[in-house]
Formats: sequence, C-alpha cells, structure tokens
Amino acid sequence: MEEREVILSVRGLYVRFGHGRNRFEAVKNASFDIYRGETFGIVGESGSGKTTIGRAIIRVYPASAGSIRFHGEEITGRLPKEKRRALTNQIQMIFQDPMASLNERAKIDYIVSEGLQGRGIPPEEIRERVGRAMRDVGLLPEFASRFPHEFSGGQRQRIGIARALVMNPEFIIADEPISALDVSIRAQVLNLMSQLQKEHGLTYLFISHDLSVMRFICDRIAVIHKGTIVEMAETEALFAHPLHPYTRALLSAIPQPNPEAEKHKTLEVYDPTQHHYEINVPGWNEVEKGHWLRANQEELEKALAALHETK
Amino acid sequence: MSKILSVRNLHVCFTLRGRELHALRGVDLDVEDGESLAIVGESGSGKSVLNKNFIGLLDQNGRVTDGEIRYYGMGDKLRHYQGAGMDENGNYIDLAAFKKNEDWLRIRGSEICMIPQDPMTSLNPLKSIGWQISEALMLHRGMKGKMAYEETIRILEDVRIDDPRRRFRQYPHELSGGMRQRVVIAIAIACNPRILICDEPTTALDVTIQAQVLHLLRELKEKYRLTIIFITHDLGVVANIADRVAVMYAGDIIEIGLVEEIFYDPRHPYTWALLSSLPQLGHRGEELYAIQGTPPNLFQQVTGDAFAPRNPQALVIDSLQAPPYFEISPTHRAKTWLLDERAPSLTPPEALRKVRDLGKATKGGAEDGRA
Repeated sequence: MEEREVILSVRGLYVRFGHGRNRFEAVKNASFDIYRGETFGIVGESGSGKTTIGRAIIRVYPASAGSIRFHGEEITGRLPKEKRRALTNQIQMIFQDPMASLNERAKIDYIVSEGLQGRGIPPEEIRERVGRAMRDVGLLPEFASRFPHEFSGGQRQRIGIARALVMNPEFIIADEPISALDVSIRAQVLNLMSQLQKEHGLTYLFISHDLSVMRFICDRIAVIHKGTIVEMAETEALFAHPLHPYTRALLSAIPQPNPEAEKHKTLEVYDPTQHHYEINVPGWNEVEKGHWLRANQEELEKALAALHETK
Repeated sequence: MSKILSVRNLHVCFTLRGRELHALRGVDLDVEDGESLAIVGESGSGKSVLNKNFIGLLDQNGRVTDGEIRYYGMGDKLRHYQGAGMDENGNYIDLAAFKKNEDWLRIRGSEICMIPQDPMTSLNPLKSIGWQISEALMLHRGMKGKMAYEETIRILEDVRIDDPRRRFRQYPHELSGGMRQRVVIAIAIACNPRILICDEPTTALDVTIQAQVLHLLRELKEKYRLTIIFITHDLGVVANIADRVAVMYAGDIIEIGLVEEIFYDPRHPYTWALLSSLPQLGHRGEELYAIQGTPPNLFQQVTGDAFAPRNPQALVIDSLQAPPYFEISPTHRAKTWLLDERAPSLTPPEALRKVRDLGKATKGGAEDGRA
C-alpha cells in the first residue's frame, strides 16, 4: 500500500466528564489516523463513546488528554480566533435527527447560509454559494424561501448536508446520519454522500451503530466498546477475520435479509469478564498490515494463530 | 390452523384541518392463531394505524368508515358476552363496531395487547417495576397479595431478568434500555393475551440487545402460545422473527406471503425496491438502489396502483385502474398488474438474485449438515 496523506491523527485521546466520585471516562486512550478521501467508521453501542470522539474532534467537548492533529497541527486546547474560524470551515458535521437539528423558525436559505454570516463575505457570494450547495444535494432553488416543516425527513437531511457543504469543508463528521430515516430514504442519502465524496474530495468520519450500513460505506472501521477502541481494520478484513470477541458478537447480531439463515443463527454474546486484564495488561497491537487489535500477549498469540488458519 | 383475527375491507379516515386523510384504503388481512406476522412499510404507510384499530387506540380525529375486524379468539367467553359487535351466529366479535370505551376493556390487555416502541417513555417512572407488573395481574387476572407477587417473580424469570426479587423493587431509571423493554414485555405477558402487537419493539435498542429481545419474543411465543403481529420497517428483523410478511404501501397491503416467498420470490415492484435498497446487498463504491420520489399524498384520491408514480417500469394500466390481488400460491398474493397474463414479463432487479442465492446456499448447507 502506498503512503497516503494523513488528514486527521488522534493519539491517546481521553475525554472525561465530571469530577471526583462522579468522574467518568467516556473515551479512553483512542488512537487512529484518518487518510484523505477515505470514509472512516466508528461503530459501537449507545454510550460507547463514539459520538464523544466526533465531538472532541470538532471541539464541542475538550479533550482531557492526548492530541488531535488536523493536517499535522494540534487542534485541542486554546487556539487563536483565526485558527478556530479556519477549522470551522474545514471540519463540518451532519447530525442524526433532521427533525430536531434544523431551526424551525428560519427559512432554508438562512439555515444553509448561517455558517457564512458575519465573516465579511459579500451577500452576492453567500447567495451564490448557498445556491450551489443546495443544487449539489439535489434541492431545487425555489425551496430556499420555505420553512423546514414543509419538508420530508429525507429532504431535511439533504438540507443538513447542504449546510455542512456550504462551508467548503475537507472533513465531515457524520453522526448517525441515516438512523432516523426511513428505509427507502436511507439509500438516497447514502448515495448522495458517496457522490459528494467523489465530487468534492471529502473525507468522512462516519459514526453509527449499524454495521450493515458501515460495511457498505466505510473503507476502514474502528470498533469501540465502553470508551475503548478494541479493533480497527479495513472493512473487508474486519468482516472476514473479526478477531476481538466483541467484534464477533456485533457481527453475529447483524440482521440479514435471509430467513433461512436467520432461523438457524447462533448469537455470540460478549462477556467482558473473559479477559484477564488485571494480570496481563492488554496493548494495542498490529496483527497484520492495517489490522489493529486490543489484546494481551496470550490473546494476541491466539488471534495470530486463528488468522493464519483462516488464510 | 384457524383464524384468530380477520380484517375485511377496512377503511379508516382522519379529519385534519378540515380535510379528509384516507389512511387505510380497503385492507384485507387474516391472522392465523399462533403465527407471527410481520407488517412492513415506510412511515405513513398505515401499519400503525391498522394495528391501533385492533385495540381501540385510534386517535380522536380518526374513524372507521367501512369494513369489519372480526375477532375469533374469545372462544367460550363469547357465550356470556354482552356488548357491541356480536356476530349473529356467535362466532366472532366485530371490533370495528365498538363505540364505547367499556367495550374495549374486555379486549384490550386480556385479549389483544400492545408493546409500544420506546421503552424509555412507556413505563411509569414513579412506580417500581414489580408494582407495574402486579397491577396488570390484579386488573386482568384478579390476583392479590402474595399470589400476585409470586406470579410477578415468575414472569420476570420468564422474560430473563435475573435476580427478580431484587429487581421487583427497582425503578425504571435503574434499568438499561434492553431491560426496560423486557419489563414492558413482562407487563404485556402478565395480561395473558392471545394476540401480542409489537410496534417496532427493537428500533430504540442496540443491535446486540435487539437480537436478544427478538430471541426472547420467540421463546415467549412458544411458551404462552401467542399470536404475534410485528410492525417494523427493518427487513432484517422480519427475516428473523416472522412466519408471514405483509407489505403495506399507502394504506393498503400490496403483497402478503410466507417469509420465504417474500424474500426469495417477491412479485410486487415495491417489494423489489424495498429489498434492493438494503445496504446489506450493496457493494461498496457502487450506487445503492434507491426508490425515487415520495409516497402519495393520501389527502387526495389515489387512482390506479399507488406505487406507479415512483415505479420507473410502471405499465399504462397502473395509472388507470387499481390492480386486484393475484394469487401466486395459496399463501402468497400480490396487488400488481405484472401478474396479469397480458402483462409483459419483467425481470426483477439484480440484487434480488443475491437474496435468493443466499437463501439457497444456507438451505443447501443446512441439508448437507444433516446428511
């Protein structure tokens, strides 16, 4: 594999909430790189910390420890105003619920243009950029003077995408962008996202709990459990050789559109007490090229043996 | 098997801001005793409205304008039954004829029960879960004191909640989402109903928990001889739990059949489209099949096949006349003109072959395993 440009690099990231007895570590020691032009997925259950990672990157939550580098520059902690502004341009977010994330009292053109306001950009240019963003996501220009309640869920999510796109970002964090949508609309939004990625050379961080969608859209996937990333690999490698027991449990739970298989399916249940990490401390190991696993020495040997067997 | 519920030509209208919304347009459906039937469709297709009719929870502005809902599950209790909707020959009760809330009290809970979608909002936060389950036992089965307590403990064990005596005194906020859904299921089971309606019971849950809850529902179905009606838009869940599948579109059932028939041999273009748009069947880097457009506006009269405007391969007759049911097998029928003998033969989309091949592979594999 040729050297690819790293656009975002996270090292030893901790996010903590609360103090003293109420202190809670939502993200523990997360490390990963995201390459330019790829779709990187974080999958986990609710409360696993996947959204917290996304929010730490976009600086909604402060990182408690560790570093996040965007184009090699540190973006955690205090930053000068111009730097923050530049980051808002470069990193944008798409939210989960298009019913809740749009201002009900504002018209569509204002919602989409909001990020451009107050930056000394001439109104003609704002209008032009809003028009272009709306065209890109497949909304008609006459929708600009309407209110969000006049739109269906799929169209609202398009507005949410246009709002991110209008800033000309390089990197978009999509936090469960299709979970709240209807089945028939999901495919439309997924297609739109991949099309925009090709046209604008975007990089996505895709956060979801649904591995079947991840398999379709992501190039690489990190599996997170209770704040710790347990496995990270290219999508095909992860599905072909899941090494961590939690990944296997997640994979076995994916519902398949195949009644025959579903009737005979066996569920794997993940039991965190199966590890004996108090004696044998786990590390973050690269078991094969690009395939990372959190395991201690004993588990690592087992995983390597299993990997050779399947190949 | 015998019928337990039979819907005949059901029409439901809602009055919204002075306009009429025709939410159900002549639904026909038979539910067999002891089966699990899944009803799939987009939001707004009428799947929830249909099921709310079965327990009399239709919104204030909605009403049944035509049709019958025959409930056959009363058995011997029917002899002492006095109330609305009784059949002349004493075989069934017509639920659509109910007018008063008192009529529904005999049906709701003790005969037909519903599990709501979100376990976070459907439990009382001020009462212990034990109290909430015992309440159902006292109201519906006349139990009291010690007896109700012991029965509650037994039901908690049945829904696989461990350490039930401790859990009995806990409150909903102390439990996780999956546990809460189990408590909601326990309350439904405590009423000892014949039919259990599950309205998207797993959408609010994580995948791993979802699979466990589905497994639990299958277990309970055997143990309590329940008939389960499953409302969902997730075809993966359907494949897991259903014996039969009904696909709803724009207030009508457009295709119904055994789960194998719907997945491996679907006939209606809408069913094709629904299956093809599953991300499980897509290839990364390629376009996923997407249904264009939006469902029809039910404020307006629908002429012809309701799916025709979104169907790129629609026939001329689709926009003129609504298709009747065509029978494909005794258990499988669909409302599409494609099944008429004069229709051109269309090949279903590529992705569907993949579903069928998947099915064949697992079937073949299973048989090899036995031999």
